[in-house]
Amino acid sequence: MKKQNLKLRLGLVVFLALFVGLISYPRALSFFPPAYEYLNGIKINLGLDLQGGIHLEYKADLSGVEEDKKDEALQAAQDVIERRINAFGVGEPLIQTLYSGGENRIIVELPGIKNINDAKNQIKETPFLEFKEEKNEEDLKEIQPLIDNLNESAKAQAQKLLEKAKSGDDFSDLAKEFSQDPGSKDAGGDLGFVEKGLFVPEFDQILFESELGDGKIYPELVESQFGWHIIKKIEEKTTKEEGQETEKREVHSAHILIVKRRAEDFPMLMYKSSGLSGKNLKDAQVVFRDQGLSEPQVSLKFDKEGGDLFAEITKRNIGKTVAIYLDDEIISAPVVQSEIANGEAVITGNFTIEEAKELKSRLNEGALPVPISLVSQQSVEASLGAESLAKSLQAGLVGLILVMVFMITYYRLLGLVAAIALLIYAGMMVTIFKLSGELSNWPITLTLSGIAGFILSVGMAVDANVLIFERIEEELNAGRELKDAINEGFLRAWSSIRDGNYSTIITSFILIWFGTGFVKGFAVILVIGVVLSMFTAIVLVKIILQSLAGKWLSKNTWLVCSPKRKK
Amino acid sequence: MMQIINKRKYTYAISGILVACSIFLLSIWGLRLGIDFKGGTLMEISFSQEDSQGNEVTLPSNIQISNSLSEIGLKELVIQPSENRTFILRYVASDENTNEKVLEKLKELDENVSQERVDFIGASVSSQIKKNAFFATILAIIGIALYIAWAFRKVSQPVHSMEYGVGAILALTHDVLITLGIFAVLGKFFEIEVGVSFIAALLTILGYSVNDTIVVYDRIRENIIKSSKKINFEDIVNKSLNETLTRSINTSLTVVIVLVSIVLFGGESIKYFSIALLVGVIFGTYSSIFVASALLVSSYEYKKKHK
Repeated sequence: MKKQNLKLRLGLVVFLALFVGLISYPRALSFFPPAYEYLNGIKINLGLDLQGGIHLEYKADLSGVEEDKKDEALQAAQDVIERRINAFGVGEPLIQTLYSGGENRIIVELPGIKNINDAKNQIKETPFLEFKEEKNEEDLKEIQPLIDNLNESAKAQAQKLLEKAKSGDDFSDLAKEFSQDPGSKDAGGDLGFVEKGLFVPEFDQILFESELGDGKIYPELVESQFGWHIIKKIEEKTTKEEGQETEKREVHSAHILIVKRRAEDFPMLMYKSSGLSGKNLKDAQVVFRDQGLSEPQVSLKFDKEGGDLFAEITKRNIGKTVAIYLDDEIISAPVVQSEIANGEAVITGNFTIEEAKELKSRLNEGALPVPISLVSQQSVEASLGAESLAKSLQAGLVGLILVMVFMITYYRLLGLVAAIALLIYAGMMVTIFKLSGELSNWPITLTLSGIAGFILSVGMAVDANVLIFERIEEELNAGRELKDAINEGFLRAWSSIRDGNYSTIITSFILIWFGTGFVKGFAVILVIGVVLSMFTAIVLVKIILQSLAGKWLSKNTWLVCSPKRKK
Repeated sequence: MMQIINKRKYTYAISGILVACSIFLLSIWGLRLGIDFKGGTLMEISFSQEDSQGNEVTLPSNIQISNSLSEIGLKELVIQPSENRTFILRYVASDENTNEKVLEKLKELDENVSQERVDFIGASVSSQIKKNAFFATILAIIGIALYIAWAFRKVSQPVHSMEYGVGAILALTHDVLITLGIFAVLGKFFEIEVGVSFIAALLTILGYSVNDTIVVYDRIRENIIKSSKKINFEDIVNKSLNETLTRSINTSLTVVIVLVSIVLFGGESIKYFSIALLVGVIFGTYSSIFVASALLVSSYEYKKKHK
């Protein structure tokens, strides 16, 4: 290698060491306050156990769930929230179920204060998807008293209006204000001239058969299938058209209608839980029928359990409706034509393309099996406690120093170089922890499991150097020149280092891909650590050693390897 | 040169007994699951501003609270300070008796301390996490085996490259099982509970064990390529083990140094985590020297006999 080139590289190593050193240990700049304050302001994003965060409590409404399925539903909700928060990238949340004063709750603790509102919104956006079927007559009877109650008060209101109309209030004003007949309301209840037989029999009876005079209001409420009518006869006329035998009698009337409620008017009460919910959802897609001419629909695919459930539900409800509830509102209630056994359903809900897409992605990130609502929020401090953290960090530092002492005693100059590389490595890790939050949207959250990954990576960093140094020593003992021995040592040790570290990297990626929470946290730090430690232990150590391997060192090989081990 | 391989029946016996004991103890005692897996009690308490004489009450620290509760012997006590002089305590026990004792002890710190609530909390490790962690670990192990088989494809003689992968996996299973067994014993006699950090420790052991084994295998690969065909496979393996022995011990030593210092000087919370790692690393080193490579030789000898 050219000397010029080597000097440049050594310069870069020194620059890197200074850079990461200052970011990791800003106190070194305390003589220059602006720089010190700026650097000191960049903090490592610590996890809940190390730093604390926010404690949210959600109430889970399990009232619609069968007794023996409550635990399962609550756990499914816990899973969905977990997935949701992980997708958002909040490092290592703590999610627990809690039974409190007869209520099932879910605790969500999120580390740090950054993005807490976003995370809360994410949880809030988690859709609650449920399939409901029509109640049978038996169940419907249960809601009848409720409807009767409503109708009683409706009738009382109608009675009051009747008294007002009779006592001389303007009929058309009353109709405009109170009538619940959308067709005639705005015309002051005016229904125009009609022949007999057009209206419901109860109404006709009053108009055509009672002795009600023109301009008079019928003194009693008239009940029909629609509700309670207050009827005013305005005038009547008889016409005889040419060629017709009988006369045509037409009556001009007006009415005020107070609507009678029926069970069908309350779809929310008409349906009962079918057991199929968001927890059985596997996948959602936006689809267009009729070559894209129709409005967009969202197609749902269920898991095995959900598919079986859906087949059963559709089988027992042929000819009836099954309602799809989203966030406690019916978005569609199609009539079941036949049993659907393929585990797929379609939601048609007059969506725009954007709405359909948004619903699709909300559903794909997990749909809740039960509705949840936020009941409390408070901030919490670190669970490990500052004392415990400081103690553990000190212990780690003591360990690191002992490792460096060991390396220097055993490998002398080589060990010293490795110790320097180890320090640079630790500095680079701290720098990455600190800058990840500043420079990207993916702040690395350091938690206990992350520290575990870090410790392992320190062990592996040292391992790479041990491998290389053992090789250099072997080559020196075999009689090679120092420079050659160094080059050969790196070359030969590379395959071991590569295979060991690659398999660690493969493991880590699989853990990152499939793991959640602490498993992910551990793997992320480990993979960063392994890649960086390969760089410091191989590239940096090589540059430093090559720079040192001059004539002087060749004469003093005892600095590199112990003569007594020469064979 | 030390003759390691030809003593393999002893090391197999030791490993076999240890693994069998571990499986047996795990099946009868199991692990003592901690609050992360089992759930426990959540108690919220709040300290008063001033005592009955009107003197200001100083807010106790986490350490003070944990010291005052130490007599009760709560398992996995986690203390989180919160807003307005409140603290959230989580611990394993979930009986009324313990909860009352906790409150009594806290009254010694502040006679007017009030218990805001006591609730039962469920496991923080959800079924999803358990499923995913298990699935991911199995996949990771398969991934490692395939990678090793690929990396060693050039040395399919005298043993097939797939066997290196299988050997590495047997060694790591050995390490993980023994660690589990030791924690079954620790749980039975010392009431040490395992939580989330224990899983992290097992994953670490898994990574370390493979790394350690691969270095030895790598030397075997190099020596096979260098050597003439006539040299005995057992000798090659033995020579490779000797050549990498210093490295194996030195590497473990550096990791052990870090871990021992954490066990001795570190905080309570990562102590058991470090003990788990320590056990795993020691057995990981043992298995990479005495088990992983010996398995290759045994497989080779077996095939030679049954040709």
